[in-house]
Amino acid sequence: MRQSRLTRTMLHLANVLVILFFLLPLIAALIGALQSERSLQAETRSLLPPEWTLDNFRVILSGGTQKGAIFEQATYLPDNVKKIYYALANSAMITIAVTVLTTAFAALSAYTVVRLNLRWVIWLMSVNVFARFVPIIVLMIPLYVTFRQMGLLNSIWGVIIALTGFLLPYGILILAPYFATIPRELDDAARIDGCSRFSAFLRVTLPLSTPALASYGAIVFIISWNDLLIPLILNNRAEFMTLPVVIASLVGDVHVFFNLLMAICLIALTPSVVLVLLLRKFVVQGLAVGGVKG
Amino acid sequence: MTGVSVRGGAVAAPLQPPFRFGRELSARVLGFVMNIPTLVTLALVLAYPIFYAAYLSFHRVSLADLRRGVFPFVGLGNYERILADPLFLLALKNTLIFTAISVTAEVVLAIAIALLIDQRQVWTGRITKFLILLPYAVPPIANGLIWSFMYNFDFGFLNRILFTLGMIHDPINWAGNPDTALIAVAIPYIWRTLPFAILLVHAALQGINPELYEAASVDGAGALQRFWHITLPLLRPIIVVTLVLRTSFAFAVFDEILAITQGGPGDATWVAAWYSYRKGFAPPFDIGVGSASAYVLALIVGVLAIAYVKLIYRRIQ
Repeated sequence: MRQSRLTRTMLHLANVLVILFFLLPLIAALIGALQSERSLQAETRSLLPPEWTLDNFRVILSGGTQKGAIFEQATYLPDNVKKIYYALANSAMITIAVTVLTTAFAALSAYTVVRLNLRWVIWLMSVNVFARFVPIIVLMIPLYVTFRQMGLLNSIWGVIIALTGFLLPYGILILAPYFATIPRELDDAARIDGCSRFSAFLRVTLPLSTPALASYGAIVFIISWNDLLIPLILNNRAEFMTLPVVIASLVGDVHVFFNLLMAICLIALTPSVVLVLLLRKFVVQGLAVGGVKG
Repeated sequence: MTGVSVRGGAVAAPLQPPFRFGRELSARVLGFVMNIPTLVTLALVLAYPIFYAAYLSFHRVSLADLRRGVFPFVGLGNYERILADPLFLLALKNTLIFTAISVTAEVVLAIAIALLIDQRQVWTGRITKFLILLPYAVPPIANGLIWSFMYNFDFGFLNRILFTLGMIHDPINWAGNPDTALIAVAIPYIWRTLPFAILLVHAALQGINPELYEAASVDGAGALQRFWHITLPLLRPIIVVTLVLRTSFAFAVFDEILAITQGGPGDATWVAAWYSYRKGFAPPFDIGVGSASAYVLALIVGVLAIAYVKLIYRRIQ
């Protein structure tokens, strides 16, 4: 259908508006992170600061040891900023562990859902549909009490266990339909060649499912990297905080340095944003290749 | 001789490859073994906490009780207390308003933006399409803080934009006005969760047969009529799914509240999850009351979940 010039201009305009809406917070955060608090408060009406500086990032990434020009006079620097490398390490370890565990567990279960025709496994599947609705706060209050008794508070293991359980149902729901698109004949052929069911799963189903495994892995990575409530409730000591918990701890602080906070926010959102832009291409590619090769 | 018949059985055995005999588990056993990791995890993190939360909601669980490890039974006491607490009722009401605002806006925007990026001849649409997943990746707490910075009364970014454009002469107090604070926290939430809704609608759009539109055009239907009589009715199932999913997640909103208003100004943005968190993990550290209020939230979302499960099953059949 041909569009008139007017329609086309309107569509371009609509796209520009949507793009601006999506990018606006990131632009604001970037401008905020690249200036000093003094310039933020001195000139309150102009979009761009009178002077640009990387000192916010320098202060954070040096763990508060290099104060730079901005914080030279500042007598107060939030303690948690000094522990930023603990937070980065905790976030990374938790995210990687949860991604590996959920993907492995979900793949095992999803295979039994589509290949083994067991009634109770189908029932497990509907439990999973249900499970994604349970608000985390409902689970976290009893988990806090239980983990307290088990000595799992203030450790990365408690967070890993809780996040794995919370994200597992998604995995089974995503992987099972994909496994179902792989022809059963491939499984049967492998078994005629002498594979057991389990090695057919390892050698046939899993290698053919890399697109689904990768997109689920990426989704889990993003959700566990971004999650706040679980580590917020389970870990309150600075050594065990994740990046989102450090950010949350700065909100209610005696003094909110917005320039510093914007820099931390940018550091926190970079890994997941980069990953999502990579995932995008991957999903498109995965769809183009299709579920079955030959 | 009895030995013959035994040996006869042994002769038949080599028909099956001998190595498989030892290794291959039956489907029942294999199904159980392969599900052990999932079953253990779900039992510990999902099933047990749901029942334990119910148990805790009928008991007094203060900090002192936690230290002692004994929780006195209080019956319906915690529920009576929250239902008599005006703040809890306000939190429920705020949750409803917040959800209504954000879900309605999301569904409308998702349909509009999904249709927009479906116009492949418009090249700017490719940039939009590329950026659509971006908000999804931003940590909710960072998202909330960035908007908190944008809303700031003294030096916020939104006021700077309006000053630069010459549209205001005095700064606007975006998140500090009790009448509009809920909208102020809803906008960042919509920003972050919109990608999910757009993707659902966009995927459904790809399933609509283009011949339907061609036939309608031949019959003289305009763009608006095509949208109203073809697109919208065919999108209805996915719209319902989006509505139910987004509603049940919006009910549990937490991060943006913590980042932007912490319930304020006054108690204008206290929502259900915030209430449970504050009662249980901030003074007065009353985990029993926190569990009871969280359970009310779970029951409301549970009703939605049942509706959703029924809906999915009807669609599959």
